[in-house]
Amino acid sequence: MLGLLAFAIACRSSGPPASPPAGTLAAGSWDRVLSQARGTTVVWRMWRGDPAINAYVDGWVAPRMRDQYGVSVEAVEGQGPELVNILATEREAMAGRPGTTSLVWINGETFAQLRSENLLDGPWADGLPNASLIDSDSSIVSRDFEQDPAGYEAPWGMVQFALIYDSARTPDAPTSISALAAWIQRHPGRFTHDQQFTGMTFLKSVMYGLAGGVQAFQGGFDEQRYRQGRERLFSWLTSIRPFLWRNGRTYPPDVAAMHRLFANGEIDFTMSNNQNEVVTKIRQKVFPPDARALLLEEGTIANAHYVGIPINAPNAAGAMVLANFLLSPEAQLEKQRGDVWGDSTVLDVASLPTPWPSRFEAVARDAAALPRELLASRARPEVHPLYHARLLQDWRQTMRRGTP
Amino acid sequence: MSRRDLPGLLAAVVVASPVLIGAVYSTLAAVGLVGVGAQGFTLERVIDTLTSSETWSGVAWTFATAGAATAVAVAAAFVLAVRVRDRRFGQVMAMLPMAVPHVAAALAALLMFGQSGLLSRLTYALGLTTAPADFQPLVYDRAGVSLVLTFVWKELPYLTLTAMAVLLVDSRELEEVARTLGATARQTFWRVTWPQLWRGTAPAVIAAFAFLVGQYEMPALLAPSNPTALSILIYERAVDPNLLRRGEAHVLGLLALSISGLLVVAHQWWRARAEPGP
Amino acid sequence: MIGARRDGFLLAALGAWVLTPIAVLIVRAFAQSWRFPQILPDATDAWPALSAAGTGRVTSALIASLALALATGLFGTVIGFLIARSAVRVGRRFQQLTLAAAFFTVIAPPIALGVGLQVAVLGIGLGGTFTGVFLAHLVPVTGYLTLFAVGVFASFDLSLEDEARTLGASPWQVLSRIVVPLLGRRLGEGLILGGLVSWGQLAITLLVGGGVVRTLPVELLSMVQSGNDQAGAFAALMLSLPPMFAIGLLTVGARRTGASL
Repeated sequence: MLGLLAFAIACRSSGPPASPPAGTLAAGSWDRVLSQARGTTVVWRMWRGDPAINAYVDGWVAPRMRDQYGVSVEAVEGQGPELVNILATEREAMAGRPGTTSLVWINGETFAQLRSENLLDGPWADGLPNASLIDSDSSIVSRDFEQDPAGYEAPWGMVQFALIYDSARTPDAPTSISALAAWIQRHPGRFTHDQQFTGMTFLKSVMYGLAGGVQAFQGGFDEQRYRQGRERLFSWLTSIRPFLWRNGRTYPPDVAAMHRLFANGEIDFTMSNNQNEVVTKIRQKVFPPDARALLLEEGTIANAHYVGIPINAPNAAGAMVLANFLLSPEAQLEKQRGDVWGDSTVLDVASLPTPWPSRFEAVARDAAALPRELLASRARPEVHPLYHARLLQDWRQTMRRGTP
Repeated sequence: MSRRDLPGLLAAVVVASPVLIGAVYSTLAAVGLVGVGAQGFTLERVIDTLTSSETWSGVAWTFATAGAATAVAVAAAFVLAVRVRDRRFGQVMAMLPMAVPHVAAALAALLMFGQSGLLSRLTYALGLTTAPADFQPLVYDRAGVSLVLTFVWKELPYLTLTAMAVLLVDSRELEEVARTLGATARQTFWRVTWPQLWRGTAPAVIAAFAFLVGQYEMPALLAPSNPTALSILIYERAVDPNLLRRGEAHVLGLLALSISGLLVVAHQWWRARAEPGP
Repeated sequence: MIGARRDGFLLAALGAWVLTPIAVLIVRAFAQSWRFPQILPDATDAWPALSAAGTGRVTSALIASLALALATGLFGTVIGFLIARSAVRVGRRFQQLTLAAAFFTVIAPPIALGVGLQVAVLGIGLGGTFTGVFLAHLVPVTGYLTLFAVGVFASFDLSLEDEARTLGASPWQVLSRIVVPLLGRRLGEGLILGGLVSWGQLAITLLVGGGVVRTLPVELLSMVQSGNDQAGAFAALMLSLPPMFAIGLLTVGARRTGASL
């Protein structure tokens, strides 16, 4: 055992010489970043729960990064709220030595938490060559849950919340909040929402709609306005709760469980934070062929997602090269294809050099996909992350716990 | 103690040290000294957690389901050990679920017991139910029926193997002696087999129960949202959007650890009394 | 006769209880869609699950998992039996302490044990390495095997060792002529049991390996959680087959040595 321990200490990795921090690199020339990155590996921590996304990252991005920049990309598990724990423990236990992760997939709340715990490196994102292509006029891209990315994260894509229903089974699907409530009351046991991020995004969308639109919640967290919104939302929920699936006494643990209930006809609606998930799930035969996405008239929440570089990243140069490649028109176009991932671009398509604008126009539209104009007109931005945190806590306390 | 025993003892210390480190780290995190959201010493997290009804209803529900599953599994394991210990088919069957990961067992339970699962489809085909909603909820249900069954399915092999091993090692000769001395089968069982079984399997029973209390994957797929199982509460707190509340995950983890610890201590005390040492 | 028939019924019930869920998983893994109220799926096609599994990644994860299971099984058996032997010899109070320590590695809730291992392994600079994950797995594996070995030594006469030694046998002779022949079968069982404990580890692998060390459970976790039940069931079978093989090995071994377990 002692020998084993000695062995362990002997082969303790002193680690490769860490590349300079991203903030320093960004101040220098891009050629230097490229040459530093060549021959390195980038460990990219991300949500690995969607085979379509995994296929894009492992099968399309990784080989191109290797061929064009000599960087190997290794995508590994580790998402959102867990990232903060992983990085904080690494920092506590590793005493300043470089960690494992060079790039993280984040947005909103996680970005806020990583920033408040000083776990992100930067600013670096505005110095990427492809940063000039970003649609910086878009309020969805330029503000991450009302926060200024400030160069500590680079945008990657954009999604919009949508309800999902089976157009063959439910031809009279409701299209507004009040119509939805009436529908739920007429069809007891056929609607519910999950207990995690997707369910809370749905509730937040409804809260906007019931309390005078997203404008009422913009400009930072305000206790008074939050309470008003919450009262409206909870009284709406109370009026429909007896008519929810299982009388609102229990909720599906996550969105995967809700998809399963929907596919088996236990409920008539499921939901997704990505308006195009319905397209990929039909193709995987998880959903029936007539499943469609639906946006409520009051609008649904759209948000952008980003990549960031941890403060203890062992390979900031490689991470920057990868982040820049992810913003290239070819990578953004491929990602947006309905048969690849269906994640909307963050680039200002109109001002791209030819032939890119026409190529983006030509991205094949799936029958189950929503038209871009409709998506744009119903998109509502995210508000301060505290609204989400408070809503989750209060929903658990009152709606989930306080069931009869 | 001779010098030859030293490596073993040292190894015991080294192997147990991560638990100790974990307990110390969790304690520090519980009082706000380390971890995400730590802002200096405070007992607020501990007090908030231990005074919340959510905590105790979760603990009670978790103990009830884990306890029920352990009781059923132990009873079944004893029956199997006594009746089929000599049958190879029985041995293989008893062990097979060990090979199936917990997540997979829970997925199978979902596919079988859900309101649109296989059982519900059978009652539908037989005309007993007309829609999924007619079928008795057995998943995400307050009674935790499918969760308890899945717990039993996964724990039965471990308990059966332990019980079989105990009987093979200790009781076969004693049973024969008892029988040649004229004891009836019933007397032999209650006077010889049963005490051996119980004494030999008690540690395994406690380990199985404590393991189920901490199990995450199966409740994550099968448990109701209210009451919230202890392991789910721990996970929710560990990733709480409010960083200040993340310390509560450690309070809950320590709570689970100390309850399990009490069980171990109680068992050893009971054992020491039952068999006075030399 | 009646007893035998009753046993037959019991065995049939046991078989149904154990095999039904496994059969359901097999059907799900090959069914493209299997929705209410179908009792059997109408379309079967394993290709989507196979392609979702990304064969290259799964193969390398499979190798990592097997290597870890073998290594921890081997080291865990040696260390666990060593600990148990010392504990049994040294006397009651210490035996209780050792058992309690072993118990805690087995029953500690993942958050406490996982964070402890994470801090320890990151602290010695082995976070995200295979060696680090190996050491981390070794803790619960050794815990299980210590409990197992204490049970084995309860029916094993350790004084044989001392007698051989007083008769002038070298430590190596004691090991090769007495300990291994007498314990051989149990050591084999320990190896497989330890391997199984390592095989199923998920939380610890993720925390210590940081996702960089990819074992089969890590690689397949996403499939189980993606809401794609076909991929999930397929992944579950991939994870179950090697341990089933190990269990088969164990029973075949039992048949050959004539011992029933």
